Amino acid sequence: MSNKLLEVKNLKKTFGGLKAVDVEHLSFNKNELTSVIGPNGAGKTTFFDLVSGFQQGDTGEIYFKNKKITKTQPYKISRLGLIRTFQLTKVFDRMTVLENLMFSGSSIKNDSFFQSILNTSSSKKYESDLEERAFEIMQDLNIEKMSESYARELSGGQKKLLELGRSLMKNPDLLLLDEPLAGVNPKLAEDLLEKIKNLSDQGITILMVEHNIEAVMKISERVVVLAEGKVIAEGTPQTVRSNDKVIEAYLGTAHE
Amino acid sequence: MNISAKWITTLVLTFSSLALVFVLNPDGQLRILANLLTFAGIYALAAVGLNVHFGLTGLLNFGHASFMGVGAYVTLLLIPHAAGREGEINENGLPFLLALLIGIIAASLFGLLLGLPAMRLRGDYLAIVTIAAAEIFRLLVRDLESITGGVYGIINFSSALQKYRPVFFDEAVISLDLAPAQIWVGLLSWISVFLVLLLLKRLSSSPWGRALRAVREDEDAVRALGKNAVWLKLQSFMLGAGIAGVSGVFLAFNYGFVETTIFIPLLTFYVWAIMILGGVGSLTGPIFGSIIFWAIISETDKIASLIFENADGQQLAGVRFMLVGLLIMLLMIFRPSGLLGKKEELLLNVK
Repeated sequence: MSNKLLEVKNLKKTFGGLKAVDVEHLSFNKNELTSVIGPNGAGKTTFFDLVSGFQQGDTGEIYFKNKKITKTQPYKISRLGLIRTFQLTKVFDRMTVLENLMFSGSSIKNDSFFQSILNTSSSKKYESDLEERAFEIMQDLNIEKMSESYARELSGGQKKLLELGRSLMKNPDLLLLDEPLAGVNPKLAEDLLEKIKNLSDQGITILMVEHNIEAVMKISERVVVLAEGKVIAEGTPQTVRSNDKVIEAYLGTAHE
Repeated sequence: MNISAKWITTLVLTFSSLALVFVLNPDGQLRILANLLTFAGIYALAAVGLNVHFGLTGLLNFGHASFMGVGAYVTLLLIPHAAGREGEINENGLPFLLALLIGIIAASLFGLLLGLPAMRLRGDYLAIVTIAAAEIFRLLVRDLESITGGVYGIINFSSALQKYRPVFFDEAVISLDLAPAQIWVGLLSWISVFLVLLLLKRLSSSPWGRALRAVREDEDAVRALGKNAVWLKLQSFMLGAGIAGVSGVFLAFNYGFVETTIFIPLLTFYVWAIMILGGVGSLTGPIFGSIIFWAIISETDKIASLIFENADGQQLAGVRFMLVGLLIMLLMIFRPSGLLGKKEELLLNVK
């Protein structure tokens, strides 16, 4: 099936006696917006870490664009077009918002030592194109007023936006969003959700971990439910919502 | 504090610390001034190199002395010199500039060698590895007597640099009753400081410098964005080490000899003090930090002898370190970002 962008087989990761991730098979199709939900400690973030190369699984294989990326360095996975964000936002605090974005978009060649010393007219052109692109993204995310502020001066929600923008500078094929709405006020959360939906419509495949169930159900095309590292349900929001196991493990009996 | 106020404070402190030389010394003031400015230039260069590591990239390097040492030893062994107890002069050698270039490359490669295993470690561990590696280097140099001259060191190499001294320079310096050899080393080291700063000014505002700052801020995010953080750190380590290598060469020429006790950890900590004083991450900070630091080092004896009337030389030397320590404490309390550092880019973990 050529429609598969990411495929995970037999992926296991244990911490001591604890099975953090134990996924037999999961695949994610192009252009799909999938949410991974589950109670705290279900292995969602560990799953992201494994896929993005930040942690190594004990067993199993991961394929991205039909290429095996198991035991591959995170930066190499990222260069293939799989970009992730972090649960605890990781912005470059003592760099400006603009610098955060431009660093992200800059190519390896543009970053190189000798290219930087030479500072040719073509690299100046590259930089100004980069700046233009960064401003487009800032405008889209409503943070262009902050372009010269240090990232540490932003509010929690703005940092989330910056991190999203920084990922977009890479023109990702697959975007892994780790709790994009955590700590964001309801109004901004709605905007962010709208943005994520738009990105999905633009053709970026999105995989996100999120606790805000209402948000998840609203925009996801598919939902995967993890509990104790295992996939206990997957499918459209409607089927998952009515699944008994899910209600028991996650939504709780109080949920109507 | 705005930029101009910051600069005024810095300049006032710099000139008043230099004025101490004239106030506290009845005679030979110019000689003392020349001596301290020469050391200041050499140490400023070392601090600029350290600033690439810590200020720009956030690498905790506590083995700076070894980079200076590698640069010095490799360069000196390649030019005409006399090494060891016998002290036989080896007349065959490379021209100074070529030897210096190889010395810089050697220091950079030593940085690479050290960095390859160490860069995979985080912050504090790098500090431990570098401090240990610097001591290993120093002890190796001490024990490999047949090559490095061991505890007897290397001498008789000065002419390789001093022979380029122009006649008019000598005449001008002698007319001021100063030693041309030292002024020459001092002048060249200050020229190097400015050349290196020009290069760094270009680099730190470039995409490369931006990438290093990103590494300083968050390595995981750098990796997640497809950049090779380890390689970036290695490049930074090599550049800073190369700059330290040049400073080590000038230090050796200023002493006129080189031996292993020069490159002790204390040297590293002096350079750290200068960098913190000038402002971590500030390009020009080390210049002023170094001048003020050396003015204090050279004048504390006299200040101390004014306070303690019957102290002997050893006791006065102790007071010197106390005063330097006090200075750094006061600085950390009142200006934790150093003289010229940006408050927003404060790197040390103080509020």
